[in-house]
Amino acid sequence: MSLSPASGIGRFYKHSAKIIRFVRLGCTNRPFYHIVVMERRKNQHQPVIEQVGSYDPLPNTSNERLVALNTERIRYWLGKGAHMSEPAAELLGIAGLLPVHPRTYMTAWRNRRAAAAATAGAATETTEKVATA
Amino acid sequence: MLRAGCQLFNPSTVAAAKTGSNNFALEFVRWRRKPRWLPVAKSKVFRVPERKKQSEEERTELMRLHNNYKTQLRSVRQYLREEVVRQQETSTADHIVFTPEQEEAEFQRCLEVNAAWNAQIAKEREVRLAKEREEKVAYIQERIEAGKLRAEEQRERADQRIRHEIEQSKTFITRDNLDAAIETALANPVDHNYALDLEGNMLRGRTTQSLTS
Repeated sequence: MSLSPASGIGRFYKHSAKIIRFVRLGCTNRPFYHIVVMERRKNQHQPVIEQVGSYDPLPNTSNERLVALNTERIRYWLGKGAHMSEPAAELLGIAGLLPVHPRTYMTAWRNRRAAAAATAGAATETTEKVATA
Repeated sequence: MLRAGCQLFNPSTVAAAKTGSNNFALEFVRWRRKPRWLPVAKSKVFRVPERKKQSEEERTELMRLHNNYKTQLRSVRQYLREEVVRQQETSTADHIVFTPEQEEAEFQRCLEVNAAWNAQIAKEREVRLAKEREEKVAYIQERIEAGKLRAEEQRERADQRIRHEIEQSKTFITRDNLDAAIETALANPVDHNYALDLEGNMLRGRTTQSLTS
């Protein structure tokens, strides 16, 4: 097995489309992501141009989801015209580097609605139980 | 890449599956049941997937948010682009700013610094090497002395042994006094037997000649 190094040995054309995106590492049921810059047309497991961060989506024992970002290089690549995948854009928006992504708002209000519906359902159930008793 | 359950492999995939090592030890499970080029199952031909419901309100809200986001991102991108250009112009990382004379002077300065370092290190090294040499000489001297002492002791031991042997050789039985020795031995037979009583006393023969008598 040979992993391509995170330091970046990916070859790229000067004017090809670059993208900042996640590379899924980890294993089954245990995702872990590198945030990388690579050519847009390439498969995620090809050698990258540069790794600019990492993201651990599973909460650790302190209930934190850890993200590391090399903001200097991200700024550089964005200034160079690199694209962003949607999850990467969301993460950068939450990190405060870019404006907050609309999808973040959408998931937030959907979660709020689901929570409200759940509490309402629980309340009606309890009232029904009281009524039957 | 396909799993072993499917028969439609290309040869390289077969090899990879056998050895258990493909390029990144990845295994894609997405198309394992059926290759992409097989047609839709008969039971699913007339299935119409349900469209996700999206309320008008949510749609307009998302539209608004996306428009805002795109505008903001465009301006951020513009700023970052200018930042990169600014950095490239101001940084001296990639292009030469020295004139040839300055470069030569810089090179000379580097050489001088290097020479000074070398001289200092050479001084330290001289001292160290001299000390090491002295230590080595002392060590060798000590070993030589020890070797001499050892040889002397050995000779002494050998001499002593020779003297002892010479002393012993006076009583040796040789060809000349062999008959006399035999006669003496025959004339004086020695009885080595003895008896023990219950207290452990040795009772030698009274009529024969034993060693102690």
